[in-house]
Amino acid sequence: MSRVEYDDVWKKFPTRDAPAVQGLTLDVADGEFLVLLGPSGCGKTTALRMLAGLEQLDRGDIRIDGKSVVTLEPKDRDVALVFQSYALYPHMSVRDNIQYPLRVRKQSAGTRASRVDRVAKLLRIEHLLPRRPAQLSGGEQQRVALARAIVREPRVFLMDEPLSNLDAKLRTHTRTELKALQQQLGVTTIFVTHDQAEAMTMADRIAVLDAGRLQQLGTPDTVYQRPANLFVAQFIGSPPMNIVAARHENGSLLLEGGWRIEAPRIAKDAAELRAGLRPEAIELDMVAREGAQPAEVLVSEPLGSEVIVNVKLGDVLLKVRTGPDVRPDPGTRVFLRAQPAAVRVFDASSGAALN
Amino acid sequence: MSVIGPQAQTQLAVPPRVRPLEGGSRLEWLLMNVAFVFVAVFFLAPFVWLFTAAFDAHAEAYIRWPSQLTVDNFIQIFSRYAFATALGNSVFVAVSTMLLTVFCVSLAGYSLSRIEFRRKSWITYAVLLLQTMPLSATMVPIYGLTRELGLRNSYLGLILVHSAIELPFLVWLMKGFFDSVPRHLEEAAWLDGRSKLRALFEIVLPVARPGIAVAAGLSFLSAWAEVLMVLILVDQQSMKTIPLAFYETFRSAGGYTEVQYGLVAAMGVLYVLPVMAVFFATRRLMVRGLMSSTRGL
Repeated sequence: MSRVEYDDVWKKFPTRDAPAVQGLTLDVADGEFLVLLGPSGCGKTTALRMLAGLEQLDRGDIRIDGKSVVTLEPKDRDVALVFQSYALYPHMSVRDNIQYPLRVRKQSAGTRASRVDRVAKLLRIEHLLPRRPAQLSGGEQQRVALARAIVREPRVFLMDEPLSNLDAKLRTHTRTELKALQQQLGVTTIFVTHDQAEAMTMADRIAVLDAGRLQQLGTPDTVYQRPANLFVAQFIGSPPMNIVAARHENGSLLLEGGWRIEAPRIAKDAAELRAGLRPEAIELDMVAREGAQPAEVLVSEPLGSEVIVNVKLGDVLLKVRTGPDVRPDPGTRVFLRAQPAAVRVFDASSGAALN
Repeated sequence: MSVIGPQAQTQLAVPPRVRPLEGGSRLEWLLMNVAFVFVAVFFLAPFVWLFTAAFDAHAEAYIRWPSQLTVDNFIQIFSRYAFATALGNSVFVAVSTMLLTVFCVSLAGYSLSRIEFRRKSWITYAVLLLQTMPLSATMVPIYGLTRELGLRNSYLGLILVHSAIELPFLVWLMKGFFDSVPRHLEEAAWLDGRSKLRALFEIVLPVARPGIAVAAGLSFLSAWAEVLMVLILVDQQSMKTIPLAFYETFRSAGGYTEVQYGLVAAMGVLYVLPVMAVFFATRRLMVRGLMSSTRGL
């Protein structure tokens, strides 16, 4: 049973003006797969390293299973970290790398051998055991690093962009395997990435960070469908959410470019609004229907299973996701309709979602 | 059908540039090789003389095949001139200096590379500043200091002074090596359950082995060949190291007026052999270390 709590954690590096982590509060449930997602320099790796004990906190507390770990040395925290660079010991064989944490814990040779063999079998790296890390491919090194983390059965797995050095095909494959492995082992896992596709596919919950602050914490569906602010709306999703300046007029929402849509119910009004529409929340018709907004096609981007149609609405460019058969030519007049339930409204000044 | 586009074909049609072997370049080649041979002869000739004269019963000041092969020169330097004590002293002092230096520079280099503390850059550059100090300028203070501390005519004095001479440069060298060892490696070891000190010895030092080999090799060579400090630290016969014994044997065996070339060569062989042995034992690591230490320059 391992629950991880960040409680108002602050961290500032002397070389940087702004704090790397600002008031981070997070509660990671036992067995949960939590992804810390954000752009470079958002503080996600710092947050992870503070839990591992590799960085000191300026303020706040980090607890594992209710006990504060901030004063403990990394060796006493019982967490395993898979580094982006894998950090395999170059002077040791793969077997020695994997059994190193067991040797440190003075496990007998027999126990070590059997546990290494079991983990090697699980990750299908038995044939690599006698080799040195320099003789392995990136994908193989990644598996060995994972094996070294798994073999000691830690309370928490920490992973710092472990897939970013793999090529695209292997990354997708390993993503699936990693998720399956985590479900099988049931160990609380905190996974750092800047890749939103990794976050969406693997996470039980995603914590989106920007400029050291937690922007939103929620399931992949929540973060995608109901982004808490403009940053999350534009960071999550490929292509990202269409953001259009808007204002309330006669009970409906008038978007820049003249498109009038049904106004969603919002908690409070703001001086300036932004409407957010996911590319799939816009329906595209080739024929005029009642209430549909005419627009002009700029370019269609076929992606095999779908087509992203870029349409111009006055000066506004919108991306619309359609089926693979819909490929209007540039200049074609099309008609747009928004799904009211999928429209998100934001305060333009604070960026916060209002509905 | 060709898969190469027209543009690529045009590029391929241009014949690869081959430099014809004309008279000019042949002359260049010849001159270059003559220069190489000259340099090789210049450096190898003394060694050839050393190893032939040492086994020559009637050695002369020029290279020749021994008129009569003998090991008498070696027997004489050990039996008549007590060279064995000096050899033993030199081995002990050089090996001890090497061990102490490697221990100190490993820890100091690691600290300067990894640990953050106040005025770190000042201290780092102060270490380098020490290296720029001419050795002869420190002779008098070192003499006074070692006399006050009772370290003259002692192994400890020789080892400490020789180590101190080498420390500044080697601390910098090792700092460079530790800088090139990824931090993630030791962080991984900490998370695997090792203390910081054990992680240093089990992970960082083995990875920095080429650097340690360079530090070990250079400190051994320096302590082995050093003369100036030995001159001011030692006046007892029993504490003399090879360079001093070499000079004294040379003088008592005839000096400049009646040079015993055979004896000089035999001493020379014993002087250079351990150095060559250290080099050959560590040459792979040394070359790797020296190559990587100059990579960032």
